[in-house]
Amino acid sequence: MSRLQNQPTLRVDTNKPLSFTYKKKTFSGFKGDTVASALFSGGIRIFSRSLKYHRPRGLYSLDGECSNTGMEVNGIPNVNAEKTLLEKGMQVKAQNVKGSPELDAMGFMDSLDRAMPAGFYYRTMHKPARIWPIALQQVRKAAGLGKISPDFRMTGEFDEIFPTTDVCVIGGGPSGMTAAIAAAETGLRVILLEARPWLGGFFDYRQSEFSRDLPHYQRARELEARMQTLPNIRVFTHTAMVGAYSNNLVTAFQIGNEKDPFDERYLEIRAQSMIVATGCIERPLLFENNERPGVMQIACAHRLANTYGILPGKRAVFSVAHDLGIEAALDLFDAGIEIAAVADIRDNPSHAALVSELEQREIPYLKGWVAREALGAPLKSVSLTTLQGTFEKKLECDLLVASAGMTPVTGPLSMAQAELAFDQHTGFFLPKSLPVGVYAAGRLLGLNDSRAIEASGQVAGLSAALNCGKASAQALKDAQEMLAGRPQAERGCNLVMAPVKGRKAFICFDEDTTVKNIKQAIDMGFDATELIKRFTAAGTGPGQSGIPGHNLPLLVAQHHTDHGALTRPTTMRAPLVPTLMATYAGTNHLMSKRTPMHERQKQDGGVMRKIGVWNRARYFSDDFSCRREIENIRNNVGMLDATTLGKFRIFGPDALKALQRVYVGDMAKISPGKIKYSAMCNEDGCIIDDGVVVQRGENDYYFTTSTARAGITVEWIRYHTRYDGWDFNLVNLTDAFGVINLAGPKAREVLSEVIDADISNAAFPFAAYQEFTALDTIPVRIMRLGFVGELSYELHVPGSWMETLWDALSEAGKPFGIANFGLETQNVLRMEKGHLIIGSESEQRTTLHDVGLGGLWDRNKPAVDTVGAVALQQTENQEKRLKLVGFKMKNTRTPPKDGSIVVDDRIRGHVCIARYSHTLQEAVGMALVEDPLHAVGTEISIYEDECQGQLVSATVVPMPFYDPKGERLRS
Amino acid sequence: MALTLTCPVCGKRNGYEFRYGGEDKGPKPDDFGSSPETWCDYVHMNRCVAGIQKEWWCHRDGCGVWFTTHRDTLKNLEME
Amino acid sequence: MFDRHKPLWGKPPALKQSYDAVIIGGGLHGLATAYFLARHQGMQNIAVIEKKYIGFGGAGRNTAIVRANQRTQQNVPLYKEALDLWPVLTKELDYNLMFFNCGNLNLLHSEAAMSAARMNIASAQFQGVESHLIDAKTCKEMMPALNIAEDITYPIFGAMFHPPGGIVRHDAVVWGLAKGAAKYGCHIHQHTEVTGINVENGKIVSVDTDQGKINTPRVLLTAGGYSAALSYHMLGIKLPISVLNIQAMVTQPLKPLLNHVISSGAYHAYANQTLKGEIATGAHMDAWPNYTTQTTAYYIRHQAQAITEMLPCLKGVKFMRHWSGLADMTPDMAPIMDGNHPIEGYYMNCGWGYFGFKSCTATGKYMAQFMATDECPEILKPFHLGRYAEHRLMGETAALVTYSPDN
Repeated sequence: MSRLQNQPTLRVDTNKPLSFTYKKKTFSGFKGDTVASALFSGGIRIFSRSLKYHRPRGLYSLDGECSNTGMEVNGIPNVNAEKTLLEKGMQVKAQNVKGSPELDAMGFMDSLDRAMPAGFYYRTMHKPARIWPIALQQVRKAAGLGKISPDFRMTGEFDEIFPTTDVCVIGGGPSGMTAAIAAAETGLRVILLEARPWLGGFFDYRQSEFSRDLPHYQRARELEARMQTLPNIRVFTHTAMVGAYSNNLVTAFQIGNEKDPFDERYLEIRAQSMIVATGCIERPLLFENNERPGVMQIACAHRLANTYGILPGKRAVFSVAHDLGIEAALDLFDAGIEIAAVADIRDNPSHAALVSELEQREIPYLKGWVAREALGAPLKSVSLTTLQGTFEKKLECDLLVASAGMTPVTGPLSMAQAELAFDQHTGFFLPKSLPVGVYAAGRLLGLNDSRAIEASGQVAGLSAALNCGKASAQALKDAQEMLAGRPQAERGCNLVMAPVKGRKAFICFDEDTTVKNIKQAIDMGFDATELIKRFTAAGTGPGQSGIPGHNLPLLVAQHHTDHGALTRPTTMRAPLVPTLMATYAGTNHLMSKRTPMHERQKQDGGVMRKIGVWNRARYFSDDFSCRREIENIRNNVGMLDATTLGKFRIFGPDALKALQRVYVGDMAKISPGKIKYSAMCNEDGCIIDDGVVVQRGENDYYFTTSTARAGITVEWIRYHTRYDGWDFNLVNLTDAFGVINLAGPKAREVLSEVIDADISNAAFPFAAYQEFTALDTIPVRIMRLGFVGELSYELHVPGSWMETLWDALSEAGKPFGIANFGLETQNVLRMEKGHLIIGSESEQRTTLHDVGLGGLWDRNKPAVDTVGAVALQQTENQEKRLKLVGFKMKNTRTPPKDGSIVVDDRIRGHVCIARYSHTLQEAVGMALVEDPLHAVGTEISIYEDECQGQLVSATVVPMPFYDPKGERLRS
Repeated sequence: MALTLTCPVCGKRNGYEFRYGGEDKGPKPDDFGSSPETWCDYVHMNRCVAGIQKEWWCHRDGCGVWFTTHRDTLKNLEME
Repeated sequence: MFDRHKPLWGKPPALKQSYDAVIIGGGLHGLATAYFLARHQGMQNIAVIEKKYIGFGGAGRNTAIVRANQRTQQNVPLYKEALDLWPVLTKELDYNLMFFNCGNLNLLHSEAAMSAARMNIASAQFQGVESHLIDAKTCKEMMPALNIAEDITYPIFGAMFHPPGGIVRHDAVVWGLAKGAAKYGCHIHQHTEVTGINVENGKIVSVDTDQGKINTPRVLLTAGGYSAALSYHMLGIKLPISVLNIQAMVTQPLKPLLNHVISSGAYHAYANQTLKGEIATGAHMDAWPNYTTQTTAYYIRHQAQAITEMLPCLKGVKFMRHWSGLADMTPDMAPIMDGNHPIEGYYMNCGWGYFGFKSCTATGKYMAQFMATDECPEILKPFHLGRYAEHRLMGETAALVTYSPDN
């Protein structure tokens, strides 16, 4: 279809055609078209079928306030075709249709509305009970609009920025631009967000005069040019504001373009002041078949002609309640559309000038008339009526421009916690009180006079600047006077409904909610608007309440017995515009920490696992029993990358006091050159950490924590000393040092190859600590520990030296059969030794006593000072607690699976870990069992998942299982 | 919401840099260990004030300091 | 069939001067207790007092997931009974609660998590609740949209599959219970605020409201996120509760994509598809108390990141609505149900955190029995308030508690 070429307000470039596919046919539009305008231009009138009744739906508002033009584009469902710029090669599909939108096999649903009153599903399909599971699958299939393939993968670039600014202006219409200019002229940084691809708002497409010889659209260009001269304004067009949070945090998303190529960009803006200048949308007129294709709002028809150069119909009837409707009728008439009549619901309309222009064109003007019913599909005629329903007339047409006036876009204000109140004069919900630093301007205040709209922007801009400490109070006063001199907010219509029953008058298009449904809900006792919204689903669809928006609370109020007080809009929630998850997600990042040995461990065959924040080698072969790894430690020597251990330095005059506070042991008893093993508890006496402490100098200690606690230990110690004012410094060295655990009977021989010092058992015995120089260069702190139950050394080495030392040990260890071992091997070895891992053999319910480490608690320390000591005291002799025990399987070499439970007539505990021990040649494990089942010799019954009631038996035995005298780790 | 908090060292910062450390209950009372009830009252019990409360925060992703501040739990805003 | 539309829970009644019991909170637990009291315990002269409208709080803000695969044997039977009650109540109330028995997949992201889940599974099976450990491949077969590749932050190892769970239409539960309670005589007073609870000689005597005083020997405090503040404010009784905001969001409606509820502890996220076709997802909370029920930009981003790692096709789906509700968290992630202690006639049912929806039917049943007989039913005994002072936390979370509410 050819386009109107002479409109000065066109936003399409008719020299640049773009082709795309719809219904397996090639369509074409122009650069600047939206998918919807291109389809409309190509003759498409029905864009989709509605959710429940499968009614045909078409262009209505052109601003995405309903799901009428929700389509599938390039595999992405629910794309709003009205707001999506056309691109070459797009694949467009209609949604929720069986067949085509024009011939939908489900169209018969529309005649079933009597069977589906408000909330009908709560009252049906459950009798008899067996039909519900079948019925619900039908409900699921019928529900939903778009479809997405489980295999869909989003491509494209998703960007994110987090700017800070002084003033953030939402809306790039005349008031927003004026506000931005006013604020920027005081020297402040301003960010302006505009949802459309261009600036101008209500001025952009209008050819009527702003002032003598200056049409509105030209005025918009002037303001835009003025903004461009102010480098401290950053303008983001095609950027939908989606969230406003306290402290003026604003979120938005921007669509990329040729100059700034990305698909979508997430913006999170922190502003000192925020100005909401979002203007108005139109208030839907309620009458029968008010959403029939061919029925559209004023700006939709107007912009189709002026912005896209498309005539929206051949013969039109207008049923309006605003001067903009008359203005549109005049423009469309001049563009070549026949106007059958302009019905105006207002009894006090409008500029006489506009009416006389209608008369000049001989367009019938029906004051006090309103559309009653749209007839035919596609639209063939409309029946008009006087407000009381006393007279009626039917007019043929293929276009009905219907609108009940304006509705302010208050979403950003209400999200920002502004209080809105209903105003009888304008029929608007107007801001009654605004939070600090939030301002409102423009048409959303009820203003209609173009210069008043700009003046209100000036006031808001200066107020926002004043809030930032700029602008003079005098300048603001002048602006306020200027605004006061202009025409004030106009009288508007509050709720407009034709005198009809409303059986097919839709208050919410997305959910197919009719006026009748709302009445039914009220009859059923639903009084609050929010409840009616939930019960009828009105306003819960993809249009984000754009259509029912303010009509719903007003309709509810009208039909309710007592209720001015209840008249308030429903809560608006982010995102105010539906936003892709891809946009929110930005660029996904794989979050993981790696040790200095990461690549090497992988090369050596390490099977890496994400463990906490780290990536670590769990196995070194796909023999998950780790037999070879285990046997190599028991017989030869192995190396484990233990870098993830928490490592800390604490020093200063009160360092010892701080250690005393958090460790259960007496830290005053640390001997020079020795390590002290101890534990930390929380106030419940629950063990939360264990590790070793060494003293390296006066008031200077080095200690380790478990991997899981590395990130929180500084915070923990500072928390538990927060009232004391103690003088100590605490440094987290976890990432600064690498740790190598060299373990096995031949460990000493390997270590002596890299360290030139006496490390004989006499010189450097079990539990000793010493600092050495390896390879004559590398400073290394060595602890003789025995977590795996063999002779072993924990080497702490600066991270940058780790690889060098590791290589040297590997090389030196070759003759001794050195090999890597991973976490699972360590897990089995330590179990054989009866050593626990916190979180595996302990839980929230278990105290230090319960896991058998009560001996670590030094009760002679001042009890109230040690975190957890009170609970340790109070629980010491409690009965019926979970206790950690060792067990041996009876009559089987198969261990129960970890997580199996211990039962008699009820659950008595669970298996924390159990393995077949290659070292001991039997199946052993550790379990938490309820006292008194913990006594050595008790037979316990174990219930595994999927065991079908077949229990297995085990006997509680003393721990450790392996080397009970500890000779091997001391050797 | 977008909480901000004022760290005594680093100044006003994004609330997500901080860790909440509970209602300010003062140092452990003298009778802290005297009975399970007094212990429990200090360790576990909260007043759950709907309004302004004094509470502990740690500037976790900043300088690491623990400090107290007043915040309105009905608005989730720090008091100026 | 639908010609007459009668008020579901009757016309608003006048506030009487005295009731046999007053229930503070018109949410799920309050209404369920009222229903069971009125219909099954024969105590019909009772009132539910609600400050806003019924279902304003957590009742209408949860994401409607139900399941009975809790960790401890004290919790499992309660949730199991709650689950079994959905079809029963649908029938009794003659109101379709729309129980969608789709089963829950709790994703597991490490070998350790698989072992930990096995304990829940074994406990469930031992107590007659169906639950299975399944591997990643099976997960993928059950849910083709799932990403079981290894190059994500938390690769999926398997899942705890719990067939008896699913989703229930939460609003229907509120309205159905209100309908049922009103039918048996209960008065539901909306837009009425309790301002004080009066005690004489260690016994409850009356309740003050902004609409007048009510004499009553029994009060049940079950006001969700507001319980702890009310308890301290009106009676000086502190509770081990932190009130956090938990957030959830839905996407635009889609044709069926997810046939099960999925959840992941590692990602702090869950997702399910409502009967309307929206993908409902959530789980995160700001780790500090507040009563705002405001959402945060921080979490909708987090949610998008987490959920699209597990379900990458959702990158092409749009979020439509994001909301928040209050969760009254206890240190051991288990509720507090107690009565006649320390005040005779004073009952409490709170601390449900984010488990209040799935349990409400059974809790209502047993709290009603408790209030009608003054005898605490066995099943509720483990949930008494005294357990914290006795150093016997429930163990519903295996995680270690530190000093702040989110650990």
